[in-house]
Amino acid sequence: MVNAVEMRNIRKYFSSSNVLASDNVSFSVRQGEIHALVGENGAGKTTLMNILYGLIAPDAGEIAINGKPARINHPDDAIALGIGMVHQHFKLVPSFTIAENIMLGIEPNRAGFIDGRDEAEAVRKLGAEFGLPVNPTLRANEISVGMQQRVEILKTLQRNAQILILDEPTAVLTPQEVRELYGVIRKLAASGRTIILITHKLLEVKDVAERVSIMRRGQMIGTYNVADVTIKQMADLMVGREVILQVDKTPAQPGEVMLRAENLLVAGAGGMPAVFGVSLEVRAGEILGIAGVNGNGQTELVEALAGLRPVDVGTIELAGHDITHEPVRARRTRGMAHIPEDRLIMGLNLKTNLDENVVVTHYFHPPYSTRSRFHFPAVRQLAQRIINAFQVRSARVGEAINTLSGGNLQKIVLGRELDGSPQVIIANQPTRGLDVGSIEFVHRTLVAERDKGAAILLVSVELDEIMALSDRVAVMFEGRIMGTLSGPELTVQNVGILMAGGMLHETAPLPQAI
Amino acid sequence: MTTFRRSLENLFIPFSAIVLGLIASSIFVLMANTNPIDAYQRLFCEGFGPRGCETFGNLLFIGVSDGQGGTQTVFAPTYGEGGHRLAIVLERATPLILTALSATVAFQAGMFSIGMDGQFVLGAIVAVFLGYWLPDQIYLIAGVEGYDAAPQAMRTIMHLIVPLIAMSAAMAVGAFYSWIAGYLKVKLNVNELISTIILNAIAVQLVGYLVNFPLRSDFNNIARTRRIDDSAWLIPFNRGIFADIEWFSGARVGVGLLIAIGAAIGVWYFLWRTTMGYEQRMARGSSLFARFGGIPSGKAALRAMLISGALSGIAGAIAILGVERRVVDGFALSGTGFEGVLVAILAKESVLGILLFAPFFAGLQQGATNLQFGNLPRQLGGIIIAFIILFSAMEQYLRKRLADVSELRRARQRKLSTEVPT
Amino acid sequence: MIDNVLTTYRQPLRSAALIGGIALLLLLLASLPITLLQSSIRLSTPYVLGSLAAIIASRAGVLNLAIEGKMLLGSFIAVAMLYRTGLDPMVGVLASSMAGALLGLIFALLYLRIRINLIILALAVNLFVANATVFFMRVWFGAYGTLADPSIRGLPNIRLPVIADIPFLGPLLSGYNIVVYIGWLMVIVIWVVLYRTVFGRHIRAVGENKEAAESVGINVTRVQVFALMVSGALAGLAGSFLSLGILSQFVENMTAGRGWIAITVSLFAFVRPIPAFFTALFFGFSEALSFYLQSQPGLNLPPDLVLAFPQIATILALIAVALRIRGSELLKRRNFATQFGKELRNLRDGVFVGGQN
Repeated sequence: MVNAVEMRNIRKYFSSSNVLASDNVSFSVRQGEIHALVGENGAGKTTLMNILYGLIAPDAGEIAINGKPARINHPDDAIALGIGMVHQHFKLVPSFTIAENIMLGIEPNRAGFIDGRDEAEAVRKLGAEFGLPVNPTLRANEISVGMQQRVEILKTLQRNAQILILDEPTAVLTPQEVRELYGVIRKLAASGRTIILITHKLLEVKDVAERVSIMRRGQMIGTYNVADVTIKQMADLMVGREVILQVDKTPAQPGEVMLRAENLLVAGAGGMPAVFGVSLEVRAGEILGIAGVNGNGQTELVEALAGLRPVDVGTIELAGHDITHEPVRARRTRGMAHIPEDRLIMGLNLKTNLDENVVVTHYFHPPYSTRSRFHFPAVRQLAQRIINAFQVRSARVGEAINTLSGGNLQKIVLGRELDGSPQVIIANQPTRGLDVGSIEFVHRTLVAERDKGAAILLVSVELDEIMALSDRVAVMFEGRIMGTLSGPELTVQNVGILMAGGMLHETAPLPQAI
Repeated sequence: MTTFRRSLENLFIPFSAIVLGLIASSIFVLMANTNPIDAYQRLFCEGFGPRGCETFGNLLFIGVSDGQGGTQTVFAPTYGEGGHRLAIVLERATPLILTALSATVAFQAGMFSIGMDGQFVLGAIVAVFLGYWLPDQIYLIAGVEGYDAAPQAMRTIMHLIVPLIAMSAAMAVGAFYSWIAGYLKVKLNVNELISTIILNAIAVQLVGYLVNFPLRSDFNNIARTRRIDDSAWLIPFNRGIFADIEWFSGARVGVGLLIAIGAAIGVWYFLWRTTMGYEQRMARGSSLFARFGGIPSGKAALRAMLISGALSGIAGAIAILGVERRVVDGFALSGTGFEGVLVAILAKESVLGILLFAPFFAGLQQGATNLQFGNLPRQLGGIIIAFIILFSAMEQYLRKRLADVSELRRARQRKLSTEVPT
Repeated sequence: MIDNVLTTYRQPLRSAALIGGIALLLLLLASLPITLLQSSIRLSTPYVLGSLAAIIASRAGVLNLAIEGKMLLGSFIAVAMLYRTGLDPMVGVLASSMAGALLGLIFALLYLRIRINLIILALAVNLFVANATVFFMRVWFGAYGTLADPSIRGLPNIRLPVIADIPFLGPLLSGYNIVVYIGWLMVIVIWVVLYRTVFGRHIRAVGENKEAAESVGINVTRVQVFALMVSGALAGLAGSFLSLGILSQFVENMTAGRGWIAITVSLFAFVRPIPAFFTALFFGFSEALSFYLQSQPGLNLPPDLVLAFPQIATILALIAVALRIRGSELLKRRNFATQFGKELRNLRDGVFVGGQN
């Protein structure tokens, strides 16, 4: 029985970041199976698949497809061999229709001229054939995320993919859409296709995969039958040590209401409301977690609270003061800190040095400046203080920061935001893209701030993080708070139900809104 | 990497860009049937050399007659017999320094404004007008005929206040004109590169109109304005204080240069030592970061445009008050403002770089202009500058190439010494 | 009250405004002297071709800021080819577009391969062309300021056989030189290429989402290089009109900023070929108007101010585009607040009455 994919002794070293992404990795997938490839961020799973798909050339190693040795130097080679890849970030052209997107690069044409109608018809038939019906004339910027993923899958099927690589496919889906995707995966496997699933969600592996290969730090640890391993075992293998899924924290002692939002209406892209009537309260000394799948209005909510997005209806209060229309600086002066979702673009300016980055929130008053003139010793002291308190390795006062790792960069952001013990902290995906050590550090820091009396609003798509850190959890779905849970009600199941738009109690359903 | 090695690197790149640019341009010299070495020697001598300079060596040491039939070697840059070209270079560099500073201040705030030309000519026309109108009014009120009839005390006071008022007005006008483009960008997101280029054209036309009609003072072939009054004149060194130093003869470098250097120091301090400069630099390139931190980047950008316009305006004023003393039709087309942009790009927006590159640029242009009489058009200067800019902008590429070479060398060493890293 | 009327009857009101506007325009045009209209059409050619050059580059994701330089190069090459060679002016036209394409290729390589900053590269290229053309004018031809010679034949005006006899429209459509007609043709060609061919599809994909194009195997660099070459060719063609289509000579710096105006035209038209054509006509009109007013003895307008008409028109155009974008944004925000604010209130009141949450 020949393997669909056979990768032997693959080696890949990135000199630019000094990382050995693939260290003598061997990986094989049987025909027609659903095979999960798991590992933490930076374990090397995406690199391995990029090599398989021809996006990266390996330094050493061989690949065989369906038993025949193959040289894959370019995605075209991979496609010719029947390999298709659906990336984590969709690669669709926004203004093109679904048909145009699917046919991009292989447009049916007569001497260069395209017949739009033929195209649309072909795509309609394709969708029907695989049980993934689509309306080919809709534009990519008009359809839902789940539909976009469907288009991406159809793209590969149109190119006769027999081996499909799906990179973190459920990261952007609602639980309902995830279940639909599982159905599609199973159907495709039943038709003889091979599915490779890159994921870090072990529940998923249990739900849908047949075998699992685990990678860690560029090495292939092993391949196992999913039925024979537990989630904890997989997690331990992924991390290499005993994983403690709990965060040490004492019960919360909530005090005054520090942050209150009342009936917020905030516009999103395309003129639709992203936040539709959200009210919440965060007290001093507690962590309120906002759970929800990415794209349900959390980003816009955070921006509105921080002052980066205007509020159309509703009010925001900080320690009793109305800050609904106050600019960012005023909110910070009142004691609000914001750890942004994107540290590279928003949180830091990578073109300049450490000092200028850490002083951005407070440069305009003493001790850092008097009457527009900078006092650099004070700035340097601040930078050093942050380096010490947050153990930012390889950072030096006065030096550039663009070579530091993600974890160290996030520590700088934390250090800057938390300097001076702010009263209200908004943390938006604070551990995204970080290694386990840094994640633990961030969690401990947030809990420490909570114990000092800060009111923390934690927004995260990682359910484990929300459950581990929050004292109360509010769930956002389609711009609304579906419910706020605490105490015995606060279980993963309940949160999951609310995240999918369901209801917990038998009450009258919400009246039809939009 | 030590700081010394880093500064050496920083100097190496511009230097090699200059050399590469000269080499590339020599192709054009060859196409004009001229020996590039000869041409370049003449070019540099005409631009930077003492009288009698003939070779590259003469730029540093030149042999002069000692009055008794023999020759002695002197240090060329200070040899002032008959006037030194460097003096003219300093004269021409003065407006360049200011317009380059103007461009730098704008660029550092993320505004790619090329409006220096328009602000320059507007500043010039304002200065020339006030340069004769203001003294006229003062003489009228005082009941005096003119400069020659005025008492010494009055003259001294006017020497101080008239140029000051003229320059301030020029700064204000330049600042305002620059603000227009800034406002359009901040409030309406109009691309400032295009808007400043168009505004330049409008300003140039406007000044042309003013020179040809309302302010026209004589009816020769070429229209020109009245000359500024002597009290408004920023007397050049070779007429005033240093009148007896021959090094300055032939050049009209004066107080303007000191103003330019002062402005350079001021701009450096502003950008790197004040909070306002900090705001501008953060607003550039990473405006999300600026907004996130609470920096009012719109205000910072507008402020930058105002300062930028003021600097170009005063450049125009100094060009008139210190050198030209009247505006001639066609002055507006000289393109000094744009040359400032080029200097700023060459200098990679560092103030020290501007102080070094502005004289270099001026000398190159001047050398090329004087070459003209020897069959090479002065446009050669522009060609050389274009190539130098190209090569200097290739820095990233060149650095990467160097890095690749050293990486290859290191990798080979590693293979020989140890195993593959785990 | 007014608000309601405006919103309910928005669609018919818009159509009425459009029709009314066009009728007004036609009335205005009919009252102008025919020579003015003809020069408008003629003078719009560099803007038509230039804006198409800008459009095709922008659609591929590269802002071609060196159009001014490529235009100037085209003007020079067109004349240089014909100087004392007695060749047909079409040779000059062809040579200028090839020269433009070549410069486009060099530009593309420097930007895409060597990664020079786009703005600096464009400024350097423009600077180089401005100086090199004068340099060679003197070194090769010994000419100062203007390159002219009796042997340089200008482009002849073409009389279109049937069309010329159409009443009223005839003189407006016939009698121009070939570059003008090529300009009109190019508008259609570019439109078809962009929206109906594989190559155009690829260009748009590369311009909108480079990674999407890469992931399906499109060679992004090749597409962009090609687009820049086409862009250069169109710009060079525009230049040939300037030097051969009016007076057959090359003047130092004869493009005089038209390249930048062409870029503005493409921005004003939101990088679409058909609106760009009409916008270019408008700019041609403003330029023709400025010459016309100069030649009128009755009006004593100073030439300098009048010559600034196209530039002033450009600034107004830039402001108009920006206002339109801003205006629609503000309108959307206001509508949003009213519409959803109401729904939100209803929702809350509804919940208060019936349910528990």
